[in-house]
Amino acid sequence: METDSYASGGWVLLLRVLSEQVYMSEHAAPVPDRGIRPPGDLNPRQDPPLDFIDRPLHQMEPSDYQVLGYISGLEVHQQLLTDSKLFCRCPAGRKATEVDAAVLRRMRPTLSELGEYDGTALMEFKTRKEVVYLLERSTVCTYEMDDAPPFHIDEAAVRVAIELALLCNMSLVSELHVMRKQYLDGSIPTGFQRTAMVGLTGSIPFRVPELGVDRELRIRQLSLEEDSCREVSDVGHRITFRTDRLGTPLTEVVTEPELLTPLELQAGGRLVARVARATRKVRRGPGAARQDVNVSVAGGRRIEIKGIHHHRGLPLLAHNEAFRQLNLLRLRAELQRRELDPSALALPDPGLPWELSDLIMDATDLLANTGHRPLRRAVERGETACAVRLPGFGGLLDHPVQPGATFVRELAERVRVIACPPHRPFLTYSDTGHADLSKRHWRQLARSLGAAAGDAVVVVWAAMDDAATAAREILTRAAEAFVGVPAETRQALRDGTTGFERILPGPDRMYPDTDTPPVPISDSVVAEVAGGRGETPWAREERYLRLGLGEVAARRLASSPWADLFDELAPAAGSPARQLSTALELRLPFHSRKHGLSRADVLPSAARLEPLVRALEQGALLPYALHPALDEALGDPDRPVGRILASYRPLSADDASPAATIQAVVSRSHLLDGKPPEVVLRWAMGEVLRPWRGRLDPHQVERALADALGARVTTAEAMT
Amino acid sequence: MSQGTKGSGSSTGASDHGYRGSALQVMRRFGITVWCELRAETTRGSFQGLLLPRSETSDDLHLVLKLDSGYNIGIRHDTVLSLEKTGYREARYQIPEREFPRNPANPNVKLLGTGGTIASRLDYRTGAVIPAFSPGELYGSVPELADICNIETEKLFGVFSENMGHEQYQVLAEKIGQAIGNGYDGVMIGHGTDTMHHTAAALSFMVQRPPIPVVMVGSQRSSDRPSSDAARNLINAAWAAGHGPIAEVLVCMFGPTSEFYNLLHRGTRVRKMHSSVRSTFRTLGDIPVAMVEHGKVTILHEHWMPRRSDRDVLIQPHWDERVTLMYYYPGMRPDTIDSMVDCGYRGIVLAGTGLGHVNRLVYPALERASAAGVHLYMTLQTLWGFVQMHVYETGREILELGVVPLANMIPEVAFIKLSWALGLHGDDADAVRSLMTTPLAGEMTDREPHDGYLVLQGGVPEVEAFVKRVWR
Repeated sequence: METDSYASGGWVLLLRVLSEQVYMSEHAAPVPDRGIRPPGDLNPRQDPPLDFIDRPLHQMEPSDYQVLGYISGLEVHQQLLTDSKLFCRCPAGRKATEVDAAVLRRMRPTLSELGEYDGTALMEFKTRKEVVYLLERSTVCTYEMDDAPPFHIDEAAVRVAIELALLCNMSLVSELHVMRKQYLDGSIPTGFQRTAMVGLTGSIPFRVPELGVDRELRIRQLSLEEDSCREVSDVGHRITFRTDRLGTPLTEVVTEPELLTPLELQAGGRLVARVARATRKVRRGPGAARQDVNVSVAGGRRIEIKGIHHHRGLPLLAHNEAFRQLNLLRLRAELQRRELDPSALALPDPGLPWELSDLIMDATDLLANTGHRPLRRAVERGETACAVRLPGFGGLLDHPVQPGATFVRELAERVRVIACPPHRPFLTYSDTGHADLSKRHWRQLARSLGAAAGDAVVVVWAAMDDAATAAREILTRAAEAFVGVPAETRQALRDGTTGFERILPGPDRMYPDTDTPPVPISDSVVAEVAGGRGETPWAREERYLRLGLGEVAARRLASSPWADLFDELAPAAGSPARQLSTALELRLPFHSRKHGLSRADVLPSAARLEPLVRALEQGALLPYALHPALDEALGDPDRPVGRILASYRPLSADDASPAATIQAVVSRSHLLDGKPPEVVLRWAMGEVLRPWRGRLDPHQVERALADALGARVTTAEAMT
Repeated sequence: MSQGTKGSGSSTGASDHGYRGSALQVMRRFGITVWCELRAETTRGSFQGLLLPRSETSDDLHLVLKLDSGYNIGIRHDTVLSLEKTGYREARYQIPEREFPRNPANPNVKLLGTGGTIASRLDYRTGAVIPAFSPGELYGSVPELADICNIETEKLFGVFSENMGHEQYQVLAEKIGQAIGNGYDGVMIGHGTDTMHHTAAALSFMVQRPPIPVVMVGSQRSSDRPSSDAARNLINAAWAAGHGPIAEVLVCMFGPTSEFYNLLHRGTRVRKMHSSVRSTFRTLGDIPVAMVEHGKVTILHEHWMPRRSDRDVLIQPHWDERVTLMYYYPGMRPDTIDSMVDCGYRGIVLAGTGLGHVNRLVYPALERASAAGVHLYMTLQTLWGFVQMHVYETGREILELGVVPLANMIPEVAFIKLSWALGLHGDDADAVRSLMTTPLAGEMTDREPHDGYLVLQGGVPEVEAFVKRVWR
């Protein structure tokens, strides 16, 4: 399945035409008014606290983030629990393991409805990627492969989206218009994601006592869209995807950027997830809910961190991004102090950059005999090494940006993503890369490039076309340092830092889907959905508090998968409700782990557990027996509940058999002579209660034991 | 061409941009027009955005707003409490147009437009795709073309594929003749995919022995999508037309659904075989003439007509409309054929079952048609294989009724050829029959190679193993 490299020079021409349209203006500092812009891309405050003393996440107070001008918001993507995908009737939620066939495609940017090319689309076209889709027959049809028009939108998914919009108190649209949102990275074979706006401007109660938060969280919008492919690999100019997840319906809930600390961001993410789960029609498990995070600090601009699967890592990612922005702003200040000018980095028309600018040279011959092995291998492979002079940037490539990463990583990431060099490493630079190349080589490079002491030199190597792209991208990113924080989408890395993914897309990449008619959302459908809508987590919590549960218990129960079971069992307020909630929370996860089932699958019917709860309320089951009785009811579904209850019938410590147990234990207590009495008593309690498994009242047993042990001690003393 | 291009044609007033009825009344009540930025207070909440035109084929109940986020939404007229104008911004839509650069070293290619969307833009009113066609527009959207050839375009019609007919075939044939006379190195024809193979067949007969390639091209997935096959088809067609060695009427479309290589199909053996997949065009009963990719034409077929430097060509743009194609079905009644004869049809192409059969019920009708001088030809519903009417008695009986077998000619091709032959020879029945049974452009072949029929059966282990190894 080998193909030629995409060798035609035509793409360069296309880029010229396109880049004159948009790309340069995207990158230049002043963005000209080109019509609709995304709201609020720049942080409302433009006074970066450059002298802020950097601190790790756990040492930061909310007031520190206020000083930073930190704001953040969320885009929560939640897969919906439907039988089929959104625009075709392939099964949703099935994971593919086999590969039955593969399809290869390439993407080209198209004009938006308003006659503009989108900057992201252009960047992705520059990467000239071959996109490979791995197909498994049971999970994909011709629709997902863009070989057939869409089928009717999945009604069930529309209803879940409406329900979620209602739960978020949103303004519902009257008609869904399916739009195409361009993604040229190949993650969707059409080159666009079909997405429709469902609701706007809502809010949900945001109460997090431990963070001192008690306000409303405003929701900007909710859309219904199809999920993208799973990436398998991305090497050089070929990116490979799985198509099983593709087309799964998901909702995207976008909050206003009003989460004011990384911990608030995390709490907000959890809240939105709980609201989605309140519909009981969302998928759970790995990858079923993913969030994009938007962060900015004073002087910076909105940076989107994509595809975060869990809430745990959110705070650190947001914290690191805040400081990345601050560090980039410090870099900008240093560039200004040095009185540098971005126009010095401008490169004329596309073409081989080393023929166009004296900032760039083809250094392949000069470095052919280098001792730096990665570079020497590259030259042996026939690649081009090119050197780029960044005037005035001396020392700045080592300017810290993220934990363990300096500004050179920002350059390298652009090169990695856009020029796609297949081998690592692919660059070195003059600030600390001295060790890679010999002094003589650096001197020769500096002389050839006319580099002065205050300049930085970057050497990058790749196939010729890619080296040309790489050199351009290095200049482009360096020029963006004068802007401070360039608009980017970034990917979350495991260590809590982020890497460049693509230029932040604008609304230009949206255009109407000509394959689908508008879908009216009638009042009757809204009323129907509203009638059956789930109870919001906050309403549930209120109800559980009234039942006598503690604040934490109420919140946990409200967001648990067994909340409905709890409601069906309807325990009496007070102790029974508290005991049942604790028992479910402890025993159900245990059983799901033991049987390898999801927590939702392990749930028994209410009828099975109801006799236990009634017995608990009537005192026919002691609270201590609830856990073992529940274990038996769950673990042995065929055993009649009546028999389980009989085996846990409460006994009195005075009854003959328990009394005999007590006698026997007391008679063995001499083995512990010399131990403090409370230790002996604790041991004896355990010995008596264990065989009777919750059937005895511990208080009663304690009293009986204390008496009997006391008597034995007295007798023993009398004998001595 | 693609689904997106269909659906225009309503004649409501253009000034209202597709709005009518209740929606238009609401707009008028609040003094709002299309392209107004507005704030709408409704019973479902408040919305802000730009009022867009509405597709004329959509209902008259909703207003379409474009939000700042780029999304469109619909607002129902009876939810509107108030509309307040906050601005006005009319979108200017333009494909970046550049002068197509001419390179004297490159071949000159004439691109004839029929109305299909090779490059395109979107139309607000219909939500449909509008073709970009001038050289400048083409260069703006597929600039790679400038590396390949010097393109001059001529837009002949603006019709969708399904509206192409003999009048268009005739104009095309004449225009191809002119282009050949004017010294072009190749001709490309942009065409919708639905009836591309009909037009290809018609041109194969109307333009005989051209000295240069005549390459038909379109896009199966609309060119307004990033994954469209349009640009790649156009690039490869330009190669085939400008540089390719094959001087025949060819169809240049995707080989596999993967963006990998294009196939050059002979105009008389090609057929659209799937409603939507990219690899829809297949050569039937034979193999394609060539593959083309990345500036390389790889010949596959052993017989093909080479490019010539002369300018000789036979243009015969004739047509008789009184021809029909009848698809036989079990239980077909004789009156269906009788009524064609009564309506004055002069030629009937039958698409019969199996080796070329119809039921006895229609025999008398065929006999009457034959007696009335109507030309009767037999082709196959099976699409692959030869008409063989001597094997069974049924076939022999039908032959005796005056039905002429057409070997392995594709039914649609037979229809086109008979219309052309009747137009050419009028009342000379023998000449028509002679023309019909003599292959002119590969529409009938002497033999069917073993790989002329390769419809692999999915699910079979060995086929699945093969499919895993090749690009779909």
